[in-house]
Amino acid sequence: MKTTPQKRQRRHNPLFNRRGFLKTTLQASAFASVAPMVVHGAVLGRDGGVSPSERIVMGGIGIGNRGRYVLSCFLPHPDVQFVAVCDVQQKRRESVKKMIDDQNGTKDCSMIQDFREVLARTDIDAVLIATGPNWHATLATMAAKAGKDVYCEKPCTKNIAQSLLLRDVFRRTGRVFQAGTQRRSLPNFMFAIDLARFGKLGKLHTLYAHPGGLDPKQSGWLPAEPEPEKEVVDWNMFLGPAAWRPYNKKLMDAFNFEKGGGLVGGGCLEWGSHCVDLCQWANNADDTAPIEYEPKDGQLHAKYPNGVKLIMRNDGWLKMGSCPVRFEGETGWVETGDNADIAASDPALLVGRGAKIAGYPADFHVRNFLDCVKSRGMTRANADVACQAHIACHAANIALYLKRQVHFDPVKNVFIGDDEANRLRSEALREPWRI
Amino acid sequence: MKRTKNFSLLGATVLFLTIAQATFAADSGNESAADKQRKFIAILKSDAPPQDKAIPCKQLAIYGNKEAVPALAPLLADKELSSWARIALEAIPGPEADEALRTAVPKLQGLLLVGTMNSIGVRRDAKAVDILAGKLTDGDVEVVASAAAALGKIGGKQSAKALNQALSSASKQTLPVIAEGCILCAERFLADEKFTDAAQLYDAVRKADVPLQRKLEGIRGAILARQSDGIPMLLEQLRSPEKAEFGMALRTARELPGSATTEALSAELKRVTADRQVMLLLALADRKDSAVYPKLLETAEKSFKATRVATLGLLDRFNNVSAVPVLLNGAIDEDADIAHAAKSTLTRMEGKKIDAALMDRLPKSSGKTRQVIIELAALRRIEAAVPVLLASAVDADPGVRRAALATLSSLGSEKQVGDLVSLISKAKSADDRDGAEKALAGICGRTGTKAVALVLPLTKNNDSELRKSGLRVLAMAGGPEALGAVTAAVNDSDESVQDEAVGTLATWPNNWPEDGAVAEPLLGLVKTGKKRSYQVQGARGYLLYVQENKKLSNADKVKAIDDLLPLLKQPPEKRLAISALGGIPSGKSLDSLSTLAGDPAIAEEASLAIVNVATTKGLQGVSKEARQKALQTAIANSKNEATRTKAGEALKSIK
Repeated sequence: MKTTPQKRQRRHNPLFNRRGFLKTTLQASAFASVAPMVVHGAVLGRDGGVSPSERIVMGGIGIGNRGRYVLSCFLPHPDVQFVAVCDVQQKRRESVKKMIDDQNGTKDCSMIQDFREVLARTDIDAVLIATGPNWHATLATMAAKAGKDVYCEKPCTKNIAQSLLLRDVFRRTGRVFQAGTQRRSLPNFMFAIDLARFGKLGKLHTLYAHPGGLDPKQSGWLPAEPEPEKEVVDWNMFLGPAAWRPYNKKLMDAFNFEKGGGLVGGGCLEWGSHCVDLCQWANNADDTAPIEYEPKDGQLHAKYPNGVKLIMRNDGWLKMGSCPVRFEGETGWVETGDNADIAASDPALLVGRGAKIAGYPADFHVRNFLDCVKSRGMTRANADVACQAHIACHAANIALYLKRQVHFDPVKNVFIGDDEANRLRSEALREPWRI
Repeated sequence: MKRTKNFSLLGATVLFLTIAQATFAADSGNESAADKQRKFIAILKSDAPPQDKAIPCKQLAIYGNKEAVPALAPLLADKELSSWARIALEAIPGPEADEALRTAVPKLQGLLLVGTMNSIGVRRDAKAVDILAGKLTDGDVEVVASAAAALGKIGGKQSAKALNQALSSASKQTLPVIAEGCILCAERFLADEKFTDAAQLYDAVRKADVPLQRKLEGIRGAILARQSDGIPMLLEQLRSPEKAEFGMALRTARELPGSATTEALSAELKRVTADRQVMLLLALADRKDSAVYPKLLETAEKSFKATRVATLGLLDRFNNVSAVPVLLNGAIDEDADIAHAAKSTLTRMEGKKIDAALMDRLPKSSGKTRQVIIELAALRRIEAAVPVLLASAVDADPGVRRAALATLSSLGSEKQVGDLVSLISKAKSADDRDGAEKALAGICGRTGTKAVALVLPLTKNNDSELRKSGLRVLAMAGGPEALGAVTAAVNDSDESVQDEAVGTLATWPNNWPEDGAVAEPLLGLVKTGKKRSYQVQGARGYLLYVQENKKLSNADKVKAIDDLLPLLKQPPEKRLAISALGGIPSGKSLDSLSTLAGDPAIAEEASLAIVNVATTKGLQGVSKEARQKALQTAIANSKNEATRTKAGEALKSIK
């Protein structure tokens, strides 16, 4: 009897087979890791003390829950010093100041309400941007134009036009940019990607990305509520580049406000900005994007210029935690996710997989950013890379929104013969903001 | 929400649109784009409140054409709706939208003017250059900045002229923003390959008294616009003592095309200081120009540590077989960072040529080099290495032996099992024996039952350690013969072998149903295990078998556990059963748990499990009464306030 592909996968999946799991562990530990180095500290002489002139002085902008976590990944590095926190909410400013002051052993961290004051400070080299997605691209590009390097949470852009502008601004300004897609710096994802990139799976034919949803959203307007004092909540600054609407407390969830896009956002951007990004890398496609996108059977099917298929799907995954990806080639496959397990068609593929670091920490990604600030090198999730990965997600969202196939030209960055789709590539920013 | 009578016809649609964060998929119904446009225009022209007009503006960005422009244009002066109107006006094609934006400029001030000019910039309306140029001397810096940026985005000689003139006469406040417009305009020239025009503007900025960041952008552009003639300027920047200028030079070094640039940068490597050398190497490698390869190879071989580590890690980008000797040399370096970088690169490099280069060296190699090549054979999965591996498994060098056995584990087949069984029997050290066992386990794990017959003699060896190795290897293979041997070993004459056999059975591969036969010996352990620990391990293994056997229905699973319960004597074992029952969402499991809740020693665990099962989302086939009864049992038997509260809330929610 023929076995279905799914059955074959299960049979070979170490997670469904304790023997396989033991086998995997055994083989993975047989050699020292040859996973790509996640830090290059020795290269940059970062193994000793840090003089003040080598210290990277930073400010944090929009530091809510996620921001506090990423900030906690920055603070332990001896070559970083945070000196300012900026947020439109007073409570957050105060709590993050305490966090920074406790680390620094001082009371000096500035609390700033308007981020432009942070950008104007000449003592600040770099900023951590963890506002809601509504602000990301606008703020990141303003920071670059002010001469700051930027670590920016994802999704980094609201549409295709912003993605291209983000790329162009960071090229033009020469500033260092790291998108907060930290899976690019985690050993299990890097190992799986290397298997795909360097031919260990044979010729690639299909990539799978978990999008964390395939339901594109538009944002709108809630009934007006009494607006708090500006000092408590600066509503105008919270809205920022989003079209005007009155204050409503429910909109103060910055993480979800205009999530990843106003005209057509949400959708596959939530995890896609991670998982699609990883597929781009696995396919050596960091400089391009898929050319076809089609909603199909509750999934989104896309195709790259080199013929490799990209499938965004919410189910059908092995149990490996959030943000899983799977790469299939002519001779093998590999799948991994946030629990850091790696399953492969043949456990021998996993030899040398290196340390298992679960829970998708941002520490390594942060270190990569700091090293690049010093070396003026290209980060793993630099603006060029982030631009293309986000374009792929936005184009997919547009196909989902329009409920039909769209064809995209990744050189001209336009949809081919599709006025409707092309109009969804950008959205005006509220005055006075621009990119 | 305030609504007007005029919109009763639009009814639910408009109401829906005004709910923020609502989901809007494109309407796939029969309504044409023209119909949609008519509907949205009607809303905009009405006296509807602003919240009703906002989303129609967005929809007109998709479905609107010139007919929508007259309805949108008046909103440019509306503080609340201007930003919404511009969403549509930026997107609608045709001169009508351009004209509406241009016409609005003289009538607007402050932020609304800024927003409108921003939109003109996005649309790149060349007819707006004069009107924008007129705003470069406005008293409001925001207005000047917006006009300058818009002119920069529009580009062209007319914009350039206006911006250049403004730059030379700008105030201290407006100079930075006009410089930004100049840079944007120059970028447009550069993209259009109008290099002379671009260079003039970049030069104007870099020579002006502008902020450092603008100056750096001017320098970068000035170099790129000069193409190969920009190389001297690039080198000058690379030699700058200023970190900012050096940093921008590194970025520009990645961008300026041409082999002449690569050569000049390679030559520059000798001039720069050691710390800058690494940074320049990284920039050179990012150029992806094969001309840089010889220089990188040379540096990878002969330079100080930091540079070597960086360079060795970059060689895979060129995938050149001539790098193999240099990388192998690095891979055996005593410095761990150097060795790791070289070995990682050798692992990543693609192709049979690289495999062949390594295999060519394997027979002639010895010591550390031989060890590294063998490890690479595993990492690269070079099956051609297998014949050499058995010989290497008895090499005089322990590192080579260890690597050979580990590689056999991942590359070997059943063909090597006989030799490995012989090897493990003759092993002179615990390390060698361990290595051989792992090799056997690896092969048996991959080949399954094929090699069991060859392994079985190990379980009858006089040496108890070898018998235990045999059991562990058989567990990797699975199947009835292996299971029989392990079951028999429970009665081995040596107690440590018995321990090993029981542990192996309790964690027998859960390849259900193929290995379902393990249930019987596991139950046997629970009933008649010689030690209490055997009974517990038997129970644990049996419960694992029940839980993970996908062939068993929920009812079968509960029955299997119910059958086991009378054999479980102590609370710890009973808790294992409760844990298993708690993972089975069914009425039968609720019944069993309710019974267990009557035992004071395990009442808390059982009560909590009841609550969890009874509140399982989508619990099917369980009557309301059965759930209520189970929850009441939990409340009656639990002394834990949290559990009782949770059970009480669940009871209330059952309607």
